[in-house]
Amino acid sequence: MDLAQAIAQPSVDWHALSPDIVLAAAACMVLIADLFLPEESKWLAMPLSAAGILGTLAAVVSLAGEHRTTLGGAVEIDTFALVFKGLFCVIGLIVLAMSFGYFRSGRYYQGEYYFLMLCSLLGGVVISSARELVTLFIALELISIPAIIMTALRKADVKSNEAALKFFLFSVLSTAVMLYGMSLVYGITGSTKLDEIRSSIASSADEPLVVLSVIFVVIGFAFKISAVPFHFWAPDTYEGAPSPVAAFLSTASKIGGFVGLLVLMFRAFPEVADTWRPAFAVLATLTMTVGNLIALRQQHIIRLLAYSGIAQSGYVLVTLALIDPSRPEANAQALESAIVYLVIYGIMDLGAFAAAVAFARKTGTYFLSDYAGLWRRSPVLATLMAGFLLSLAGTPPMAGAWAKLFVFAAAINSEVYWLAAVMGVNAVIAAWYYLAVVKRMFLDSPEVDEPIEVPYLLRATMGVAAFALLAVFIYPAFITSLADRSLL
Amino acid sequence: MSVPPGYYLALAGLMFSVGVVGALTRRNAIVIFMFIELMLNAINLIFVTFSRMWGHVDGQILVFFVLVVAAAEVVVGLAIILVISRRRGTANVDDVSLLKW
Amino acid sequence: MSAETWQQVVFWIFALLITGAGVLVVTTRNVIHAALWLVGALMGAAAMYVLLFAEFVAWVQVLVYVGAIVVLMLFGLMLTRAPIGSAEFDNNQRPLAALCAAAVFVVTSVILIGAFEGQEINFARTAGTSTESIGTAIFSSYVWPFEVVSILLLAALVGAVVIARRD
Repeated sequence: MDLAQAIAQPSVDWHALSPDIVLAAAACMVLIADLFLPEESKWLAMPLSAAGILGTLAAVVSLAGEHRTTLGGAVEIDTFALVFKGLFCVIGLIVLAMSFGYFRSGRYYQGEYYFLMLCSLLGGVVISSARELVTLFIALELISIPAIIMTALRKADVKSNEAALKFFLFSVLSTAVMLYGMSLVYGITGSTKLDEIRSSIASSADEPLVVLSVIFVVIGFAFKISAVPFHFWAPDTYEGAPSPVAAFLSTASKIGGFVGLLVLMFRAFPEVADTWRPAFAVLATLTMTVGNLIALRQQHIIRLLAYSGIAQSGYVLVTLALIDPSRPEANAQALESAIVYLVIYGIMDLGAFAAAVAFARKTGTYFLSDYAGLWRRSPVLATLMAGFLLSLAGTPPMAGAWAKLFVFAAAINSEVYWLAAVMGVNAVIAAWYYLAVVKRMFLDSPEVDEPIEVPYLLRATMGVAAFALLAVFIYPAFITSLADRSLL
Repeated sequence: MSVPPGYYLALAGLMFSVGVVGALTRRNAIVIFMFIELMLNAINLIFVTFSRMWGHVDGQILVFFVLVVAAAEVVVGLAIILVISRRRGTANVDDVSLLKW
Repeated sequence: MSAETWQQVVFWIFALLITGAGVLVVTTRNVIHAALWLVGALMGAAAMYVLLFAEFVAWVQVLVYVGAIVVLMLFGLMLTRAPIGSAEFDNNQRPLAALCAAAVFVVTSVILIGAFEGQEINFARTAGTSTESIGTAIFSSYVWPFEVVSILLLAALVGAVVIARRD
């Protein structure tokens, strides 16, 4: 094949790969630019990264509505992939805004931090369109390895070191367990392509082996999404990590794990759903209940958000317990509600973290008792924080209400009433601790009256996020119409 | 009669289990890491066995990917352990009790 | 003896080597010895790959695992001045861990041996498992994860330097 022909008819669909390639190029650009920037202008890596992410977002938008597969089916661009690629870009932008002040003022390696963050984000962008086992696995590792390094960036603090070590050991262990499961899946089916796995796993007569392999894969993922009882690393890691990194872990890294899990369960293993569905029901119940009960007792905002994030994972796990390929409608509704939940969760959780970061930047404290009377010290921050917490609690007028309602409706539609009941009880428990913080901010009187200035960048970002949540509450079709079309 | 594939897989299962014991009981982070390498090797043995059974190379290629990821993990892990030991003079993980659940 | 009997003999010799070395890694109280026994287990695994006609994987195993990863760990042990033979070597979860691992082993091996009962590994070399076909497959069907893994290595490299350097 000569060159002209190769250019005219490429064997690879470059347009389909463009979001991933743009982001990878941006990461390398940041790394190289950092080399030449003098110490006092290292912060320029941040706008450069933001430009890279915006470029990726543009590439994602340019693919809207397309359905393409390339590289022999390893990469598939559909609405599901594009929704999550877009979500990862938005998460990246918000985390950049949170990181800017934090990393500029401390003695951190700014350029390298932004490079690592883009790499981790790239893992998320790659996993969204990965429809093959090896790519899925490598993308998951690409999310977590840079995240481990980012956790360790506060080198002078023993807490950060230990957080990184804990995260590292759990992450490596979960990788090993997940790979064990994947190796058995490969053995049963003889393929790494998810579609081929789907067709041959159904005809496999050996049920115990299928169950064993799926269970190992699920345990591996359970670590990554911090599902109970594999959640112990999360609160300690979030607390020790730089707080923008904690926000990144609790959203991008967790959503990355969920995307992998959704793709595997809806695409590769649905035919044997009867064997593993109960495992997800148990996992979901435990994760919701334990996460919420422990969150009730937290006094540290990051730990509170960590446990609340664990409980939120539980709600998404409910949708996985509803998978049933023999009832296509209920099945599609389960996937749809999972997508809606993850998108809304990503924004509201980041918002709450951003508010905590903004508060800590001026006051230096993360303890809930110091939030007393925030309303009088900074009405803007208190309102925004309250908005995000209400959304996490699932109360109107924020989008979180719809997120919970959709999962609830999916459970009812699949006739799994007891899981819906567990969810309802948990929503009530959860509302208690979120509203307790809101009450403290608005009704209690502050110990110090000093007003809190919120940096413009953070204020604008939080404002946009809160507005988006409000808009989705009023007009949920923004997201549901997208989720509608994102069938795996 | 040649060795049945189940035996290779059972041997891999044994390596994996030894790795689990070690990873859960040892205190030194580097030694814990050795056991995780043992577990990854067990997985590689499974991949190679299945590759042989199916008669194609995919399983062997998976081994290379596992290998690369293991190498990346070692590098990152040792860097973290080095920082901790510089600050505390030990690489023990008393605070990381893996069996705490 | 026939070739298949030799295969049996070699399999059992190296299976015993792997088992023995693995157990010694768990039981020895000297971290350096643990690393050296690990080499034994990894070499045994390499021998298994040869038995399974994966010679290229076997050589890479020796070069990367034994030659690079274990050596890196030995350097790590030296740099962190790991105590040799200290009393505080293990935590007190040994019985629980052993139980946990024994359960994993029994369940997995019963299922695995049962699942592939009666199947035999073809002793003749099959087409399409040569080193050449590995290379072709990596750069055709697996080129996407291959590219992604290169970014992963770059990130690990940069990150390790950032963390480990003294400032």
